[in-house]
Amino acid sequence: MAPVPPPQPATNQSTSQMDPLPQSVFTLPQTAQLEALYTIIRSKETRRGDFLFYSDRIIRLLVEEGLNHLPVVKKVVETPTGATYEGVGFEGRICGVSILRAGEAMEAGLREVCRSVRIGKILIQRDEETALPKLFYSKFPQDIASRYVLLLDPMLGTFIPVGIDAFLMHPSATGGSAMKAVEVLMENGVPEERIIFINLISAPEGLRNFCGKYPQVKVITGWIDEGLNEKAYIIPGLGDFGERRYCE
Amino acid sequence: MPPVSVKPPPKNTVLVSHGRPPWYDERGNHTMNAFVVGIAGGSGSGKTHVARQIVRSLGSIPSVVILSQDSFYKKHTEQELVDAFANNYDFDHPSSIDMDSFAECLKDLKECRQASVPIYDFTTHQRLEERKYLYGAAIILTEGIMALQDAKLRALYDLKVFVHCDSDLMLARRIKRDVAERGRSVDGILEQYLRFVKPSYDNYVLPSQAHADLIVPGSNNQVAIELICTHIRRKLDERSNHFRAKMATPHLYTTPSGTAIPESTLDELDLTIMPQTRQIQGIFTILRSKTSSKQDFIFFVDRLSTLLVEHASQFLPYASRSVITPTEAAFDGKTMSAKHICGVSILRSGGALERGFRRVFNNVPMGSLLVQSHGEDGEPLMLHSMLPVCVRQRHLAKDTFVFLLDAQIVTGAAAFMAVRILLDHGVKQENIIFVTFLVAKGGGVPILRRAFPHMKIVTGDVDPALRDDSQGSDGKQVWAMLPGLGQIGDRYYL
Repeated sequence: MAPVPPPQPATNQSTSQMDPLPQSVFTLPQTAQLEALYTIIRSKETRRGDFLFYSDRIIRLLVEEGLNHLPVVKKVVETPTGATYEGVGFEGRICGVSILRAGEAMEAGLREVCRSVRIGKILIQRDEETALPKLFYSKFPQDIASRYVLLLDPMLGTFIPVGIDAFLMHPSATGGSAMKAVEVLMENGVPEERIIFINLISAPEGLRNFCGKYPQVKVITGWIDEGLNEKAYIIPGLGDFGERRYCE
Repeated sequence: MPPVSVKPPPKNTVLVSHGRPPWYDERGNHTMNAFVVGIAGGSGSGKTHVARQIVRSLGSIPSVVILSQDSFYKKHTEQELVDAFANNYDFDHPSSIDMDSFAECLKDLKECRQASVPIYDFTTHQRLEERKYLYGAAIILTEGIMALQDAKLRALYDLKVFVHCDSDLMLARRIKRDVAERGRSVDGILEQYLRFVKPSYDNYVLPSQAHADLIVPGSNNQVAIELICTHIRRKLDERSNHFRAKMATPHLYTTPSGTAIPESTLDELDLTIMPQTRQIQGIFTILRSKTSSKQDFIFFVDRLSTLLVEHASQFLPYASRSVITPTEAAFDGKTMSAKHICGVSILRSGGALERGFRRVFNNVPMGSLLVQSHGEDGEPLMLHSMLPVCVRQRHLAKDTFVFLLDAQIVTGAAAFMAVRILLDHGVKQENIIFVTFLVAKGGGVPILRRAFPHMKIVTGDVDPALRDDSQGSDGKQVWAMLPGLGQIGDRYYL
């Protein structure tokens, strides 16, 4: 059995909002069952228990898809029946990095797929003086430079320039914080091509900005939405992910 | 026969002493109805005793149901209830029995379907709303004074028995029983006997003796019971069906017309195989390696089963659904539209898929079937079934989607039996989604597929062959999958 290559951009199916997709963007297969999961977490009627359960299901699928981009090597094992089996072995160590606060909501799903994986954290807020995203806090595994990084943030919006108040309330709904996070990771020695950014919903504007700046970062997204409204919410979106997960 | 104060011991019983062998052929069709014995006789003649003696004497036998006529007393009107409490209701007349319902239940059980038997409460003289679920008998014993009365019932019996007893003895037993167990006065018993019991016996019960194949004395009847048991055993043997060896290696056997069954191509098997991504390949490599730790094995089994069930969920029906998001935008999406969903795991190794199943469906019932192979030929035996309500009840089962979970399909014998059980209950074949880690192409899956062409089979991978591993396994015939991943149940649980 030959090890399969990593997923190719040709598997992208969600091109209705953005055609063509940037080469570094990968979506989940847009099946009826996935659409049903999104319908549940998007509905404002959905209560927290269901929101948790069904968003976890999507996050697991996203992490699984992200892991398929990691390298494998040929590996031969002996089975309990005494037969030999030509398979593959996983290569490369990984760690997760969640962008606070909403990104933390994806950690449970990550740990279900990657047992006892190390998880770093980043807090990025708007700088009151410059109105630009600013790193407030970060804590990474010491050897992060030698690891593949799964960067977690549920929503990818767009970078919103100075002067729009919505940005203050919803920093995670902008592409700015994700781009700032990649910048910080690279400063810590992680090569761009070893970063895999995982999110549930992307706005086309956010994808365009992000992929324009970091074309080597793989973006795994579950759904590409229509865009942003005047308050900088992703439309149709699902509201504030962290708020619904933790506070409502 | 209207008992008053004390609730009698339950007369409907399912006795499982040995497990149930296949009741179908390799095309999936029923070949073997349950063997039905009708036992009639006067009140106090010893019908129940005869039925219990038969069960005892059969010894090591498949599951037996004793079905009592008492369950089928009709639902009473207000006036009838007043009469019943005043001892003025004739419980010994054939019209007091709901013969249609009786025959329907018996027919369902005989033809291997589930039955929901009414429950009659003797303290309130009324049929209860709830019903008792019965399924899976290889032998059914029906007993009651009117058991041979109705032509619909008689048509269902394979053996009709009349327990003949001296009238004096029956009356003596009745007085003794009603005084001791039901706190009745002798005067009352005699009055009822003369008004209802005796005329009924003379007019209906005794004449039905003419329909009997066999008349058994009401006492000292050991020889008669032995004869009945010998007959039942022989009939069961004639009907039993063994084809596990054929399932394991179908291409080695020939059909009656003389042609060998060709090996199936992968296309013909119509399997839904997980996309072979790097992660799936890597997970399988860990699971297949005999040096993987128990901790790793359990973790990756759980991860793989989650992915399998996610993939299998594509076979549920989906309908359009529009929702409003918290941003007040509309989203035209989908919703899963199956009326009922449940999981059923084939124990023991099917349990290894349950955690994954629970990660995908958190709020659905989970049934189980214990099917074990036994004896020299390794034929499967159904030892235990605990099915969700949406499968048990026939009117729900037709709208139920069942995820049937088992770790691998080797000979397919257990899978075959599990599917047959679901179909017996009225689950539609196309609504059965079989989820498994591994399938042997050269094993039982071609026969399973041929018998059940509309079932969905979702598997993680396909292995080429089976190897006969019978040596050193206590004479049992055992097959191993190659390259396989060993005994999943042992590796996951032990």
